[in-house]
Amino acid sequence: MWQVYLKELTELMRDKKTLIFVILLPIFIFPVIFGVMGLVLSSTTNKAMQEQHRYVIINAGQAPKFADALFYHKNFKQLSTDKSTEEELIAAIRNDEFDVAIVIPADFNDKRLAVEQAQWQIIYNQSSQFDFMYRYFSEILANFNEQLQRDTLTQLNVDPAKLTAIIKPVDVKKVDTAAKRENIGEKFGAIIAYILIPLCLLGASYPAIDMGAGEKERGTLETLLICPISRVSIVLGKFLTVLTTGLVGALITVGSFGLWGAIIGSFAGMAVVQEAMSAIAITELVLIFSLLLPISAVFAALLLAISIYARTFKEAQNYISPLSILIFLPLVAAMMPGVELNSKTALVPIMNVALAIKELIKGTADYMMLALIFGSTLVLATVAIGFCVHWFQQEKVLFR
Amino acid sequence: MIEIQDLAKAFALSKNNKLSDTEKQDVRYSKDAFHSVRSVSFSCGSGEVLGLLGPNGAGKTTTLRMLSTALKPDAGSVLLNGVDVLKQPVKARQQIGFLSADTGLYGKLTAYENIAYFGRLHGMSEQALKQRIDELFTLLNMHDFANRRADNMSTGMKQKTAIARAVVHSPKVVILDEPTTGLDIMTVQTVLDFIKGLKAAGTPVIFSTHHLDEVASLCDRVVVIDKGISAFSGDIAQFKTLSDKGDLRQAFLSVLKGSQQLQQQGAA
Repeated sequence: MWQVYLKELTELMRDKKTLIFVILLPIFIFPVIFGVMGLVLSSTTNKAMQEQHRYVIINAGQAPKFADALFYHKNFKQLSTDKSTEEELIAAIRNDEFDVAIVIPADFNDKRLAVEQAQWQIIYNQSSQFDFMYRYFSEILANFNEQLQRDTLTQLNVDPAKLTAIIKPVDVKKVDTAAKRENIGEKFGAIIAYILIPLCLLGASYPAIDMGAGEKERGTLETLLICPISRVSIVLGKFLTVLTTGLVGALITVGSFGLWGAIIGSFAGMAVVQEAMSAIAITELVLIFSLLLPISAVFAALLLAISIYARTFKEAQNYISPLSILIFLPLVAAMMPGVELNSKTALVPIMNVALAIKELIKGTADYMMLALIFGSTLVLATVAIGFCVHWFQQEKVLFR
Repeated sequence: MIEIQDLAKAFALSKNNKLSDTEKQDVRYSKDAFHSVRSVSFSCGSGEVLGLLGPNGAGKTTTLRMLSTALKPDAGSVLLNGVDVLKQPVKARQQIGFLSADTGLYGKLTAYENIAYFGRLHGMSEQALKQRIDELFTLLNMHDFANRRADNMSTGMKQKTAIARAVVHSPKVVILDEPTTGLDIMTVQTVLDFIKGLKAAGTPVIFSTHHLDEVASLCDRVVVIDKGISAFSGDIAQFKTLSDKGDLRQAFLSVLKGSQQLQQQGAA
């Protein structure tokens, strides 16, 4: 078995494709995700925050203080228009004449004096990814509303000292019990699992195809089968090689995740990432790796079984593609809002490992639950290896 | 000594498989199986070279795969120097040197590494392995490409490496499936000389071929397989008597003609 293992490893180490999938891809995928995506996201957000919105205001004379506040806000630029109906204003926005129209009713002041509620209109395209414009508008309107309330109450001879309590009887102070790490873990933990788990499969795929269907296609399998070693030893030697490549890929990925997280956190000024990364201990990275171990064994056994069945390299690739898609289903399920690790989800393969990785990154992992996941995945791995060994002894599979 | 008696092997057909008209008339096809080898018997003694002849698809490779233990026969027996291949496959494998129709080399390994890997799988010590590989490199004139990876070898280099790999453990029986196909004249000669060397050393050699000149120059015995049965099994002299002037091509065609007539009579 070890002779087969050593020989397979030697061949893989000399193969460029394996080096790319197992070593280079895991090393560079995190800087791409952390760095490029982070920078793109932050640049897009900054651009959206600083964007100046062209607006028109109808009947501005009815609320001059509001109109002034809007005029002097750095994110708004006033334009003039002769349009006044809703249809005309919508058409003008669609024609890109301006971005937003604020319509104050012509009888706004009369209604205010009669202490009646007035309804304003804000017309704009709401499909924007970042709706900062409405946020700025709401802040100005809230200040304006408060000022009107104060003016009205003062006219009604209400004690000025009590105005704040009357306008806003309840104020709430939010105290967050979640550590920053927990917040980040909740947001990014599932994404990390979403990257780590497929990489284990990806790292093992090419070697598995090469060692099963590849051997058949090259005609080396037949020669190997007539050596005086058992077929169990042959398949276990191959299985261990596939598992090793999957795990090396995972190990590099986990290491790359830790290293790049720390680098990007400290050098790119992303203090939140740096803080979260420093809170993740080596023990937790080891636990993440330990959870990836049995699931990688499941992948290795399944990939090898599929590869052994296929007649050619291409046929094996065709069979393995649906498997790659299938593993994303439990991963996507693990990312769904409200899906949490419990005694039921701990028994759903792949999904359980993804949820456990998320908990470990959040720093809220339940060790009993981790043991349950490790145990159940180990059982699954044993069954998969047993099936692979049985499969490899079938003549109808080897000589299709 | 190799003794084969009534060897048979069938492969299940897919349930969705529909037989063509030609296949329906072929005696090897039944409703749910293809009987690749139906009844093959022959023997090959020490120091004898046996040529396995037959048209493409006759069942030669399946027969050799059963001899080499890669495939398990459905019926019949194979004895290699008294070892029952069916009952003691691992013991039998220690005695067999097998060269498949594909060279079957690992592309990323050098000639030396390819041969050494199989030597280790046969349990050879590093010292014995080194000595034996050196001996084979000299015998097959391989020293120049000992450290070249198989991916970068010519066809002839690959075939020499494959032969060296097949015999690295000094097998007591050598089975070669079309060892000279696609080789240049010089390499063919090296291979044929190597087979003569095995014969001189008393090793029984079975090799399948389509080249009757090789049969004439090397073989002591001939077996012709047609549609899964051994249509002829005997020594070269007997084989030659099947033609007027000892012409092997004519003898071969005569065997096939007789076999087909017998099978047609059987079918009728």
